Amino acid sequence: MLEALAQTRSMSAPRGDRAGRARLALGLLAGALLVAMVASLMVGAADADVPRALFDLLGLAGRHDPARLRDHVIVFDIRLPRMLMGVLVGAGLAVSGAVLQGLFRNPLADPGLVGVSSGAGLGAVLFIVLGSAALGPLAAAFGAYALPVAAFAGGLASTALLYAIATRSGRTAIATLLLAGIALGALTGALTGLLVYAANDSQLRDLTFWGLGSLAGADWTKLASAGPVIVASLAATPFLASGLNAMTLGEATAHHLGVPVQRLKTIAILSVAGATGAAVAASGGIGFVGIVVPHLLRLSIGPDHRYLLPGSALLGAVFLLGADCVSRIVVAPAELPIGIVTAVVGGPFFLWILLRRRGGIAW
Amino acid sequence: MLAARDVRIVLDRRPILDGVSIAVPPGRLTVILGPNGSGKTTLLRALSGEIAYSGTVILNGRDSRTLRPWEAAAARAVLEQAATLAFPFTVREVVGLGVAAGRGGLTAAQQRRLPERALERVDLAGFAGRFYQELSGGEQQRVQLARVLCQVWRPVVAGVPRYLLLDEPVSSLDVKHQLAIMRIARAFADTGGGVVAILHDLNLAALFADQMVFMHRGGIAAAGPPAEVLDDSLLEQVFDTPLRVGALPTAGIPFVLPQSAAPLFPR
Repeated sequence: MLEALAQTRSMSAPRGDRAGRARLALGLLAGALLVAMVASLMVGAADADVPRALFDLLGLAGRHDPARLRDHVIVFDIRLPRMLMGVLVGAGLAVSGAVLQGLFRNPLADPGLVGVSSGAGLGAVLFIVLGSAALGPLAAAFGAYALPVAAFAGGLASTALLYAIATRSGRTAIATLLLAGIALGALTGALTGLLVYAANDSQLRDLTFWGLGSLAGADWTKLASAGPVIVASLAATPFLASGLNAMTLGEATAHHLGVPVQRLKTIAILSVAGATGAAVAASGGIGFVGIVVPHLLRLSIGPDHRYLLPGSALLGAVFLLGADCVSRIVVAPAELPIGIVTAVVGGPFFLWILLRRRGGIAW
Repeated sequence: MLAARDVRIVLDRRPILDGVSIAVPPGRLTVILGPNGSGKTTLLRALSGEIAYSGTVILNGRDSRTLRPWEAAAARAVLEQAATLAFPFTVREVVGLGVAAGRGGLTAAQQRRLPERALERVDLAGFAGRFYQELSGGEQQRVQLARVLCQVWRPVVAGVPRYLLLDEPVSSLDVKHQLAIMRIARAFADTGGGVVAILHDLNLAALFADQMVFMHRGGIAAAGPPAEVLDDSLLEQVFDTPLRVGALPTAGIPFVLPQSAAPLFPR
């Protein structure tokens, strides 16, 4: 249908201009997101009268009825924050991937690649294993926010360190940044492994579950801590779009086209660190969203970041809500960590991209 | 006026530019020539503000260092030697990047049609829907030139001249398109803009340039109109090869000069 509609619209659009098609795709994705959001509220281990519960939310009626009260708890305290968290985490990870790929001019770049995710992961593992002892003051100071804060701090710290390593006299060398990211990823991985070795049984269970990623722990408190950071990071990305477009021709050409290159890189890295750090803090290591989503969009609407970035936000949210629904359904009433679902989809997809690239054209 | 005064650049303690001064006046086509490694591209990069230098670069009366990137982009466009594209943009989308960067001089309706007009100008009409990465090297070079032209489509805006900086704009092109591209540069200068181009073809340079600037070991060996500056001893000194201006080859060896096509276009 997208093809057919795009065809009819292309009568007026000049050849090679995919803007009309992209706007159409954004509209369709917005619709898909609404559907996914409703579906995410409906699906779950418990049977709840969701429409009635939502209606009750508006009128606050029927609170005295035990069934209605139970439905209220399921919908308002469990599913609604989980759904909103899925939207924010999916959008944050996908947009982070798209921004990094534009910045590094490499369609395989991912928040995992520059060490943001692994730094955030190290922060979280540090807190889980050493939380009660060494990091006691942190736990006391931040309460429920302590784990997200630790992960977020780890992500920001590793990004800042990488940025410092790769930036010489005001210029960021992208190749150095990528390679340093891999090195730092290995180092944080080793430290994480060391901590896992030192962990006790219950901590190990926490670590494993957190490491695979899940939206199951989402509640209003986590949403309040991670949400604003992700929203703020996403809000910065529209200002990056035209600069990232120019960057596809290289940094020098971007400069010639009037882009303040260094400022663009700083804002891009900060927003990626914010969105990814907060997403990892809230839901653990959910992989491949940042790779799969921007690629699918580039295939259909092209690489123009003015449409790719909002499209990634929408499709990332849809993708993660879909994966979350699958993770809740396949082994109900238990549930799979969502990272398994995204990896099962994302791993083969990643290989497919690599095979395509051998054909010569880099998608 | 686009001008460099006493520009010095040292990379890894090796002097690349050793106090170079050059003027690129509006209405003129300035061609920079010289052997590989003589500092031509580095000089162009200093003129475009791309790399750090000591000395002064002036663009339309303002110190280049005080210009914001978008202010510089509104006054000059740069064609680089090699441009790689990271993502599969169509030809029209690549050219559109130039439209988005250029400011002033055009209505919104004119801007929408600009990519097609620029492509037609570089003899690529009908290529708008193709993917850039599927084109040949010469076609890609002309797409990039179309993008650069879109950025400074009007050579003069509100009485202020704009500039084209071209680094080997014809290096991948057949002779027909070499001439076509040089005519575009010539027309840009004739309508009030300033052009500075790096060329290796002495004949093409002598045919089109108002001013030839010969670089040698990071400095300027000679500069002036082709008829005045081209002589045997300069060429031998700069290119380290015994060359003679205006000498015909030994009888029997055919030769073809771009000048033989020259009457086809108005000068």
